[in-house]
Amino acid sequence: MLADQTIAKVLEHGLRQGADFAEVFIEDSVSRSLDLLDRKIDQINSGNSYGIGIRLLFGHESCYGYSSDPDPAGLLQLTENLARSKRGEGRVTPKDLRRAPVNDQHQIRLSPEKVGKTDRVELLRRLDQLTRSHGEAIRQVSASIVEKKRSMLIANSEGLFREDSRQYMRVRLSAIADTGDGPQGGAESPGVLGGYEFLEEVDLEKLAREAAETALRMAGAGYIDGGVMPVVMGNGFGGVIFHEACGHPLETEAIRKNASPFTGKLGQSIASPVLTAVDDGTIVNAWGSLNIDDEGNEAQRTVLIKDGVLQQYLSDRVGAAQVGVPQTGSSRRESYKYAPVSRMRNTYIDKGPDKIEDIIRSVDHGLYAKKLGGGSVDPGTGEFNFAVQEGYIIRKGKVAEPVRGATLIGKGYEVLPKISMIADDLELAAGICGASSGMVPTTVGQPTLKIDSILVGGR
Amino acid sequence: MQPEAAIEHVLGLARQSGLAEVDVLVERGESLGLKIRDAKVEKVDQSTSLGLGVRVLLDGRTGLAYTERLEASALRRVLDEALENAELQDQLEVNLPDPARDVPAAEILQLYNPELEQLSFEELAEVGLEIEATAKQTDQRVVTLPYLGVSRESGEWILGTSKGTHYRQRANSATTYCGALLQKGESRKTGFWFWQMRDWNRAEAAAIGPKAVKEGTSLLGAKSIQNCKMPVILDEYCAPQLLGMFFRAFHADAAQKGTSRLAGRLGEKIAGENVTLYDDPHIPGARGSSHLDSEGVLTQKLSLVNQGVFENFLYHVESASKEQRTSTGHARRSYNSGIGTGSHNLVMEKGSYSLEELCQQPERALLVTSLEGAAGCNSISGDISIGVQGFLLEKGERVQPVDSITIAGNFFDLLGQIQGLGNCYQPYLSKVFVPPMLLDGLAISG
Repeated sequence: MLADQTIAKVLEHGLRQGADFAEVFIEDSVSRSLDLLDRKIDQINSGNSYGIGIRLLFGHESCYGYSSDPDPAGLLQLTENLARSKRGEGRVTPKDLRRAPVNDQHQIRLSPEKVGKTDRVELLRRLDQLTRSHGEAIRQVSASIVEKKRSMLIANSEGLFREDSRQYMRVRLSAIADTGDGPQGGAESPGVLGGYEFLEEVDLEKLAREAAETALRMAGAGYIDGGVMPVVMGNGFGGVIFHEACGHPLETEAIRKNASPFTGKLGQSIASPVLTAVDDGTIVNAWGSLNIDDEGNEAQRTVLIKDGVLQQYLSDRVGAAQVGVPQTGSSRRESYKYAPVSRMRNTYIDKGPDKIEDIIRSVDHGLYAKKLGGGSVDPGTGEFNFAVQEGYIIRKGKVAEPVRGATLIGKGYEVLPKISMIADDLELAAGICGASSGMVPTTVGQPTLKIDSILVGGR
Repeated sequence: MQPEAAIEHVLGLARQSGLAEVDVLVERGESLGLKIRDAKVEKVDQSTSLGLGVRVLLDGRTGLAYTERLEASALRRVLDEALENAELQDQLEVNLPDPARDVPAAEILQLYNPELEQLSFEELAEVGLEIEATAKQTDQRVVTLPYLGVSRESGEWILGTSKGTHYRQRANSATTYCGALLQKGESRKTGFWFWQMRDWNRAEAAAIGPKAVKEGTSLLGAKSIQNCKMPVILDEYCAPQLLGMFFRAFHADAAQKGTSRLAGRLGEKIAGENVTLYDDPHIPGARGSSHLDSEGVLTQKLSLVNQGVFENFLYHVESASKEQRTSTGHARRSYNSGIGTGSHNLVMEKGSYSLEELCQQPERALLVTSLEGAAGCNSISGDISIGVQGFLLEKGERVQPVDSITIAGNFFDLLGQIQGLGNCYQPYLSKVFVPPMLLDGLAISG
């Protein structure tokens, strides 16, 4: 992707400007997307992203720059420009680069390049038909296949030199239903760190049924009366609540700035004792997994909370050094255009002892948030919000009528102790997470669980 | 290869391959950004980004491809890929527009200020350090300033087509922003303020620290309120955000595909008489100004809602051809994306009240100064169910900061329930100009 000699020169040049650490990140990515909308193949796009990111660290201070131009003179100039505010005497000399192999844990059984684009087009048309087969009330369907192969090289002044590639495959389906009370949507979007085999193995009928049923049920639903109530959160994508409300504030990127309610809480009880939560970058072929992180470290399984007690933060190089914790192989970036920071990978609440039936039965009046939509959080205050994509009233221990327009509002550190029951039906779901180092693939997950009280927005 | 040469190169290759309809879009950006922490420049980001996107139109089919490399081999590959992609696509009856005539000079839009390029690293750093120091001095309840940055950024886009369109437009700006985390007892709040302009004003750019802190301190001690209905006032920052979340209903392609609540309602009253909304692509200095859209169609001022009556949808070439009409010049695209629809500068006409006067209208009201995320807004159905923060007002006075509440309603109903409009827009660089609004009919849950 770039001559070894040029990489070594850039690293050396960085240290000569007084940096303690220099890093080169080179990325060459190929993306492809096919979109079906309104029964037509609407857009097919493919492209190549290429660039070189250079990072210099001066203690905990960092300088990051990038360019798509591999010209060695330009890269040396960029390195010099980056260091201009810090310029000092070179104190450190770079170690010789040692090419270290990466053990590929996420193998591809069928390379996407070996499958013709027409197969993808047929798959989208089949998804469209399957989804529309759920009735006339399905008014619109959109479906797409998104794939990306990121090839990258990471080298640093400590002698690290590693190359890896990540192949992502994802299918997205959205159905819109209208039964006379206005359009409502349902969506499914599974994805893997893997090859085309995913598209051959994914259950298209199930995808279509789930998206269509969500849309149809919500189209017939009335509005929920808002208020504070117990909420049973569905498994799978319901884990986005933990991701937003607790995952982000556990990243050293928030901790190091003292901008998290969990700063200084390692070893303390921060959640109900029934709760164990994990961020695991090693799950085979999972959407948020990595062989190595974007600083070149092996991915790890990191236990965040065990039996309610905070065990570990998610860290990157700078965050780990500043907070004084070990690195967890969690350093990530969307592309060469971003400096890496600590990010989540596959984050989930572990399964518990309860059964979903018992959880529902324990609620006299509340909300069953079967599927969640998106949400966001202010990591500093822990304030979060989530939209409920598919919700039902629970009345006298039974799931009753569907309701639309529900939103969950709260503070992460206040909600964690209120999780009182956790079922045994852990499921993971693919998502895209946005933060200071861009949009990265992450998995969220949880079993069905009960929050004793939370504010539900409605009418 | 330089961008202009790369465009010519691709168009030349297209001619050799007998392709009559090809357009090429190049985007180039440069930025210098500094983040400040503990009286130091903690992070410096410096970048040059470049990308080239090709669209091939072949018998009404469209194929797209892009690259961030401008070598001859990469340009050949990108054209081949676009062609291959076009062959698989369904027919959409798109034809490349003829070159627009009498295109005014891009400079009259005043989007680029060469003086800004002289803004030095040192001056940016000084301003950032001043923001930090003044923010910390403002209030001892400042826990930390997790988001504090200063930057200057510039970008340009160049469009070339095989029919002879050639258009280049560049823009730049300078930005400062500050997010302050504050704590009083158990109550933690983030206050945020920013400044973004094209004319560098050091004093104004540096003055945001205390403003961010005050935004946060004013919300400390916020409480929820009981479920109720009461008038809601959105300030000049929240009102454009809300319109932005639902604006796709005005896109013709959304209406054609059954995902707009405004489909079939042209000529009808969809809002109160006090609502006049238009798109103006020619406001000097505004972020969305442009003489051509990203398909090369001449832009025009377009009335969307005139005194409550719905007058026009926004079209690009494809959505226009479906209705045998011409594009309104609202194609939007970046080098690595497909064609979509988008407004240039969306303007809702102001009312007569200052924000203070608007707040005094109802006996009791909720002033919303922060909308929490867009996830609770369904852009298709118009349903709103969203967390907000702000202040409980009595006779226009702020009597209590409020959080842990949601507001709920339907955007398309709200258009008819605007009881009053303010007489100001948010003052910084923008492309959505919507004044503060007083709304009736929203349900509050707490």
